Amino acid sequence: MRERISFVQKLGDSLEPSALTVNDGVIRGPEVDAAREDRLTIAVNELPSELRTLVTGAQDLHIRWVSTAAYETVSPLLARLPPGFHLFFTPGRNHAVTKGLCSILGNIFGDISCTTPDESFTVVGEERFQYFQELNSLSHFIQYAKGQLCGATDASCSARLDTLSTAGTLDMSYDIGERVLRVTALWPYQRQKVHATSRPNTRTEVGILSTDKPKTLEAHEIGISGLLTVLGQDSKPSPTMFSFGSRHRDAESAFSARFLTPTGLHPTLQLRLTSDGPPPSSSSDDEDATTTTCTPYAYLTLPRTIFADKYQLSDPLFLASKNLTALRHTTQPVDLEAPEYVMTQWGSSVLLELSPPASQERVGGKGTGEWTASIPLHLRYVAPAPGGYSTIAVPYPAVFWACEPAQGAVFPPNPFEKHHLGYDALFGGDTVFWHVAPKPAAAQGGLLVNEVRVPVLDVDRAGWVNAGTAAAVLVGFAWVVWKIVGVWARGGKGGGVEGVREREKKRQ
Amino acid sequence: MAGPSTKPGKTSPSSSTSTTPATPSLLTSFFHRSVPLYLSAALLRVVFLLYGLWQDANSPVKYTDIDYLVFTDAARFVAHGQSPYERETYRYTPILAWLLLPTAQTTGNPLVDAALFSSGKVLFAAADLVAGWLLERMLAKSMDGASARKFAAIWLLNPMVATISTRGSSEGLLGVLVMALLSAVMARRVTLAGLLLGFSVHFKIYPFIYAPAIVWWMDAERMGGKPNKGTAKQPSLLSKLLAFVTPARIQLAVTSLATFLALNFAMYTLYGPPFLQHTYLHHITRIDHRHNFSPYNTQLYLASSPTTSELAPPPTTLRIESIAFLPQLLLACVLIPLATAKRDLPAAMLAQTFAFVAFNKVCTSQYFLWYLTLLPLYLPRSTFLQHKPLGFTALALWVLAQGVWLQQGYLLEFLGESAFLPGLWLASVGFFLVNCWVLGVVIGDVGGWEGEGV
Repeated sequence: MRERISFVQKLGDSLEPSALTVNDGVIRGPEVDAAREDRLTIAVNELPSELRTLVTGAQDLHIRWVSTAAYETVSPLLARLPPGFHLFFTPGRNHAVTKGLCSILGNIFGDISCTTPDESFTVVGEERFQYFQELNSLSHFIQYAKGQLCGATDASCSARLDTLSTAGTLDMSYDIGERVLRVTALWPYQRQKVHATSRPNTRTEVGILSTDKPKTLEAHEIGISGLLTVLGQDSKPSPTMFSFGSRHRDAESAFSARFLTPTGLHPTLQLRLTSDGPPPSSSSDDEDATTTTCTPYAYLTLPRTIFADKYQLSDPLFLASKNLTALRHTTQPVDLEAPEYVMTQWGSSVLLELSPPASQERVGGKGTGEWTASIPLHLRYVAPAPGGYSTIAVPYPAVFWACEPAQGAVFPPNPFEKHHLGYDALFGGDTVFWHVAPKPAAAQGGLLVNEVRVPVLDVDRAGWVNAGTAAAVLVGFAWVVWKIVGVWARGGKGGGVEGVREREKKRQ
Repeated sequence: MAGPSTKPGKTSPSSSTSTTPATPSLLTSFFHRSVPLYLSAALLRVVFLLYGLWQDANSPVKYTDIDYLVFTDAARFVAHGQSPYERETYRYTPILAWLLLPTAQTTGNPLVDAALFSSGKVLFAAADLVAGWLLERMLAKSMDGASARKFAAIWLLNPMVATISTRGSSEGLLGVLVMALLSAVMARRVTLAGLLLGFSVHFKIYPFIYAPAIVWWMDAERMGGKPNKGTAKQPSLLSKLLAFVTPARIQLAVTSLATFLALNFAMYTLYGPPFLQHTYLHHITRIDHRHNFSPYNTQLYLASSPTTSELAPPPTTLRIESIAFLPQLLLACVLIPLATAKRDLPAAMLAQTFAFVAFNKVCTSQYFLWYLTLLPLYLPRSTFLQHKPLGFTALALWVLAQGVWLQQGYLLEFLGESAFLPGLWLASVGFFLVNCWVLGVVIGDVGGWEGEGV
């Protein structure tokens, strides 16, 4: 088992080695403004049996949980996803594991409402499946992890797992090549004390890092400098400096999302972006460098209660009126008619290319103006409920500018990189994602979720619907039959063979 | 939805003549010859079509019906050698996609391409005109030409009909098929009638309701065969049955069934299970009960949802929606044909369609077109025209009930209010009862008529 703890500060913030004390496998330091990332690398044979079954039954498995509470982060820990529970999965040969996947996930994470991959997952590419659902807290996972990882008397282990309740993200990625599971938690950028303790049988490396900009840095690269310490091995931190190409960058702008009112059965999700220009650092200062092309996108994971109609999103005029360019991807197929309660598929993911206002309309031509894009969505019928309304939660999308990098940029694996985010596979391998930070409006309580009130059949009033409908149909039917009986009574045989004969006789 | 359907009354010559004394001469001269009527019917559609092209090109709100995009997408799949059912929500016979193959062609010239894309709408609009012409021909058998054209104008100059076909809805094709079927039957062309019946049912299922009416109407006396005289004075049940099985009836049954089966066999061979699933089975298994005019709508929503199981009536209680086909088919296929088909076949078919639509589990405004085609054949002798206040009341109630429903639908659809109960349910029940009342009047009318009107 290996552990890596990184405190990452912003550009210009750094810590003197003298501020840190290292002894007896403990590192202590002052309070710093930083994001913290803990990564645990666990060999498959060290895993609790349930988790071992789970990962070894998969070719590829990535679980990503994102908090609904808005959080701030720093480069290079920038990759964003809509808040909730994401799963990207390629099944292995063991079909029994695949079938039991959902119940294992339920044991680990609690309220996971998938049934089987066949029924609940959607297909993304060859043999790859996606699953998403709302999951507001890790409390069940914390309890599960305590039971599996901490001894009964190990209070520090429990305390450490409890801190997951304030984490912004939690990722579990299975690397089939190295046969290890990487569990990574990220705590938001905030004031916190530098402190870490090594654990027995675990190699723990602690880095106190900050973004750096050495002169040799290329446009697609990120520089990092700071202090590294291997607990129980090093007696003092050693300085380090490195740089790497990163596909996830900070667009230095923000967005909020809300539904336009009234929402009706066709709610429109309005994205309000603070900047209509490409990220300032996306283009190199070097005049000769080929200019990169950047386009804004929104990646949505929509629960099955709500969906986007790909046919509606195919008309250029309609799209332009919403400040959209095109629907670049949607889960296939998305039933356009079925009510929510007969569907088993989790929902759908959608990638929309946004269309910022033309550059000449921008103030000063610099791309600083606030602008909106509207995403028309449709509600399904939701099961009847008391009171006549149900509430559904729609997560914020991930919003980013995707830039084709200058030629020659290479992105070898880097220590902070995240792959398998759902949208990265929809772009070229060297596309750079400049993330726009989600900043919910004050009224949304700091949550990256919008609620929609869905009108449904009021079960409190529905008791007489069957009888009432039957009565109405009976009344209508009886009236019509009465008139038909009248026709027969009037016309003798009512136009039967006899009747015609009689009438024809009359005519003659 | 409701607005244009008020037009039958307005364009009906009798109501115009009564309100404006200056117009009769103008109106008479308009209907004196065929050219002005068909020219203006065609012009109406051309104007709507061009306007639609303009709106589609300039507004994010489209004139073209979503269904037309479904048809043309399906035609594109077919043009590329694929199945039309590759297009989600394509729930029609492949023949429709084939008919629209020209819409899948592109030349690179934007004007030519726009014209090609619109060719399906032109086809639907042309079908309207042919249906109107068949209507006029049938009407002309029992009245003078000008009057026949006046009544045909209810269809031909109806803005609702012109809008529906130029927006690209295929209901106009059904209009011409049903009119052709009726014409063939009235002309005693049994094989042609069988072909048309089989084809229509393959195309849109619902025309199967006409089979019993036509069969009942086609007795030996009417078809010019020798009257099947029984030896006994009181014909036995057996001889009655034997008398019922006439050559014409057998011929109709065989040709229509053969046509229907041959078409389905051919389509199944070409496109396999998706054809059956989308064209036919979907209509049996569908549970997408998004609000519509049907009185069963709320009950279907309730019955299909899982959470109501604990609130639902015990399993011994009969759920009305599970036997919805009973009153519907009993009226449309048995009682109405038996009571009215031999008195007036076109009016009987109108009543059948009206009953079928009113008692259906799904009811949308495009279904109203199914009976609007037949309305001009019934109206001339109807109580609604003879007693104007009754006619106006029926029309007003029909429109008003839809208006109430639409208002409730607006509250739900656009304002997100839980209007299902009681608003939307009451509105659909109200509309249903209005329909039943109108249907009762129609049946009473036809029952009072002696012999054939046409």
